[in-house]
Amino acid sequence: MDFKERFDVINREGQFVNRRNQSCFIIPEYMNKNIVEKGTKKQKEHAWKNLILTEQLRGRRLVTGLMSSMFSISNKLERTIFDAENTENLPGTLVRHEGERLKGGKTVSEAYDYSGATYDFYKDIFERNSIDTRGMKLDSTVHYGEDYNNAFWNGTQMVYGDGDGEIFQRFTKSIDVIGHELTHGVTQYEAALEYEGQAGALNESFSDVFGSLVKQYALKQRADKADWLIGAGLFTNKIKGVALRSMKEPGSAYNDPTIGKDPQPGHMKNYVDTTSDNGGVHINSGIPNRAFYLVAIELGRYAWEKAGKIWYIALTERLKERSNFQKAANSTYEVAGTLFGKNSQEQSSVKRAWDQVGIKIKAVK
Amino acid sequence: MKIKVERSGGLAGLPISNEIDGKNLPSELVSTVKNIMGGQKSTSLSMKSTPKGAGDHYIYKISIINGVNRRVIECNQYSIQDDLKSLVKYVEKNSNRTN
Repeated sequence: MDFKERFDVINREGQFVNRRNQSCFIIPEYMNKNIVEKGTKKQKEHAWKNLILTEQLRGRRLVTGLMSSMFSISNKLERTIFDAENTENLPGTLVRHEGERLKGGKTVSEAYDYSGATYDFYKDIFERNSIDTRGMKLDSTVHYGEDYNNAFWNGTQMVYGDGDGEIFQRFTKSIDVIGHELTHGVTQYEAALEYEGQAGALNESFSDVFGSLVKQYALKQRADKADWLIGAGLFTNKIKGVALRSMKEPGSAYNDPTIGKDPQPGHMKNYVDTTSDNGGVHINSGIPNRAFYLVAIELGRYAWEKAGKIWYIALTERLKERSNFQKAANSTYEVAGTLFGKNSQEQSSVKRAWDQVGIKIKAVK
Repeated sequence: MKIKVERSGGLAGLPISNEIDGKNLPSELVSTVKNIMGGQKSTSLSMKSTPKGAGDHYIYKISIINGVNRRVIECNQYSIQDDLKSLVKYVEKNSNRTN
């Protein structure tokens, strides 16, 4: 079979596409891997970008942990920031990698600094080495899309829009948003909570919990001094709202003629039964959010010390893909008993908190 | 003919609804709408293309109402096809927002 028979066309990325419409790449993966490990700094940059791009272009056929599993475990923070230049192409142009000082504008710096702060939080408090516990590189793309009012985790990297300047400012502005997105990665590697219904709301809640703790840790705030807001400062001053969500008082974050009222419930009696938003994952997360807030406030001190530890162990050792609110309540109660003793103040606090949001503990032990 | 795009999800979880009258659609979108009404497009684009672990992505519900005929397509930002994406962008840009 000659060359033309094997390959039909060169696609717009410059790759040869064969008759079965599979993408093929000129530089094989093993070669890029060798360059990343042994090349010069510049060579490593290009090879690393190629590896990320090939993953993206293979139709997101992403094996979680692929990139980190290709290499030996790293114990160092490794960040890469890309600029999508207001397109929706990922990852975009490499603009800053680990160790480069003050390169790129404010948005690049925020993505860089706050992903570092999130890494530090997980390492310092839970001895967790990045998203996958193996030093997975933290990739972020900024300036995604046009007037893009969102940030998201796509299973491999974080992506941030600039906002439209009418409702939203840039999404890298809030450290807890970056902590939130990275925590989706942590959840992916741990409980892998399905992004639907109550499991999805728990997925969202864990991202809010640890996003908030990343902010509190960076500011060295005790629980009673924290604002317990997610995305504070993201709205423009045209919007009547303080944040996207309030963990302290779900439903109070905004009330505006343009965007409406914050719909989050803080109790099971107000649980929202809906098909939109994957079953209201950003709505009903208010209930477990408030439960965490109540535990954190009652136990006092720094919220990551006890409440955060309980929640972290529940996420990493107890919960599974389809865990619901009842399972989360039972698990956090059991973890609190294991860590601090049966009927301890800590365990009682967890029980009271879930009771206050309408969930009775049904623990086995 | 009415074309309605409802978007939910995203980090902020803000639902947005946009609607237009379909009579002045650009020609490149007319065929997209015809395909939808003619049943050439699946009404539920597979969410299996959603990457494992992904969070805070957008979800779309595209409704086309033409008299008594109605077609609804549900998809997300990972499963939406290019022609539907163009239709969504057009509706969002040219709509009377309904929420």
